[in-house]
Amino acid sequence: MITNLVIFAFIVGLLTGAVVVGAITWAKDLGLRMTWWKCLLAAIWYLLFLFLFFAAFTFMGEGEPIAGWRTLGISTVILVILGAGLVRILRSK
Amino acid sequence: MTKKSKKQEDAACSRRSFLKVGGAVAAGLQVGAVAGAGLAAGKDPSTHTGWQHLGDNTQFVDRTKLIRKGPAFHIVGDTQRTQRHESAFERQGIIMKNMRQYREMISSFDAGEERIEGRGNMEAPEPGKEKERKPPQDPMKYPPMDTFEEPMLSWYKERPDLYEADKVRMEEIMPKRAKDSETYKEYYTLINAWSGSWSTREPITEPPEVSDYKIGSGRKIGDPIPFKSPAHASLLIKKVAHHFGATMVGITTIEPDWHYDFGLRGAEDKGSYKIPEHWKYVIAIGIPHEWEQVNSNPNMATSFDAYSRSTIAARRLETYIKSLGYPARRHSPMDGYDLIGVPYLVKAGLGEQGRHGITITPETGANFRSAYITTNLEMEIDQPIDFGVEKFCEHCQICADLCPSGSISRAPNNHEMNHRGYRHWEINQTTCYNYWMQSLGGMGCRICLIACPYSRKANWLHTMARKADTADPTLTVAKSLTYLQKNLFDAPEAEDFLPPPDGEFANFREAPEWLDVQNYLDIEARPPSKDRKQ
Repeated sequence: MITNLVIFAFIVGLLTGAVVVGAITWAKDLGLRMTWWKCLLAAIWYLLFLFLFFAAFTFMGEGEPIAGWRTLGISTVILVILGAGLVRILRSK
Repeated sequence: MTKKSKKQEDAACSRRSFLKVGGAVAAGLQVGAVAGAGLAAGKDPSTHTGWQHLGDNTQFVDRTKLIRKGPAFHIVGDTQRTQRHESAFERQGIIMKNMRQYREMISSFDAGEERIEGRGNMEAPEPGKEKERKPPQDPMKYPPMDTFEEPMLSWYKERPDLYEADKVRMEEIMPKRAKDSETYKEYYTLINAWSGSWSTREPITEPPEVSDYKIGSGRKIGDPIPFKSPAHASLLIKKVAHHFGATMVGITTIEPDWHYDFGLRGAEDKGSYKIPEHWKYVIAIGIPHEWEQVNSNPNMATSFDAYSRSTIAARRLETYIKSLGYPARRHSPMDGYDLIGVPYLVKAGLGEQGRHGITITPETGANFRSAYITTNLEMEIDQPIDFGVEKFCEHCQICADLCPSGSISRAPNNHEMNHRGYRHWEINQTTCYNYWMQSLGGMGCRICLIACPYSRKANWLHTMARKADTADPTLTVAKSLTYLQKNLFDAPEAEDFLPPPDGEFANFREAPEWLDVQNYLDIEARPPSKDRKQ
């Protein structure tokens, strides 16, 4: 169990690194002027995205598929609204 | 632009593209990994708040951080012990006896007899008034209130609603259940077999002064072996109790008010009795139901799995204590009780009482059954705990919403409640019992037990919710979580749990596949949902 957790954490860590490098490159190519607080906001949005996804699938795993799908649906709406706001903030000078 | 710089720019561009695409792919993979981890976390059997899934550290919550000052329950009036007629189960015995006599009386009238005397509960007519008594017309009718003797008569006069509830049970519910049992017996074949197979009874047949000092069928206990200290005794008893199968253990002292005022097991006199002097301490143990089946309460689940396991653990612990030279007596679901459990669970710090009247523990919520040992082995006692249940129950009411018999109070709090002198939540056990008598399968109900938000799984999501709930004194988190529980999860409505035609014998969640007769048996089974009125 612990071995599985370590392997999982290692893989997720590698993926996180790739996501961060990719995100920085995207930001440069899109001409976004990223400050520390913009980076923080983007990171919070992404973590919230992962958290809600994790929660929805936990519900599905514990035999509550309806709660899982409802969580996904509600999360999508929340994330789209927050994402739109985030994009406006990131594009601001 | 030189050829070299063009090449460099292309290389930079392709590297940037690689990083961008790689980052996007990594994000996708990360989402997939999170989804997979979520599914695994949800399925993880070690997070089931049910039997066999809690591992060695079954009582994993550190209660020293939750201890609260003050008594287990606030005294708000003259305290008194429970009388036989106040218990819905025990009252059934009185009712059956009275109904039998009532029928005999009717037969006597039919046979032309004019008076009846000395028939237990039946009141003999006063001399000269024999002919005023009119014979009842319908032998299936519930006996009139005045045919019950004291103290039940006065109690019925005080609570005519419970007389009516008992009447409904005996005249309507029980005949209907007999019919339903026949109609759907194939559909409930597997759950009936499962529930019945847990049965194990070993009644206590001798009074405490005898049975508590004997091991098994006759060997007398030896001299008490001294412990280093009460703390050592407490520590050892708890360790051993866990080894015997107890998921949770707490220790407290005897409160005479919390013992029935009738029917001491093994005693010849079934009336009021004095608490035996060697009952000084109570060891309370709790064992949860099997997780897979407890979710399909009420009709595709049973109480007997945890009844049986808690009883066996209590028997083992009783023998263990006796083997060390101390008298002990078990009080358990299969072998009977001389005490009321919930207050002892609260006093022993296993949990807090919820709106549904059941104790809620930090480990398994309300999903557990209890057993007790009374003994004079001196042990260090536990203290009542507070992890926010009382406040939570004031606003939650999920159990009251789902209760098919409306037996759970919807009062905003229990501040005005006074039950035998104590302030605490109390359900209407008569109407609750009436629903038990309607349900099929393993019989009983247990909807409140599993619908309770504290009974949800112990995975990261629900554990985090519980912690946030406890930590927030403003109840904002608790209210939000209750709202989510009511709206995210799909549960039947209270009336769905009723028998056809008003309901469909619904279950809280789908039954495990091994309780579905269609999957294993070659029989025709009629699902109750087919007979629901549209």
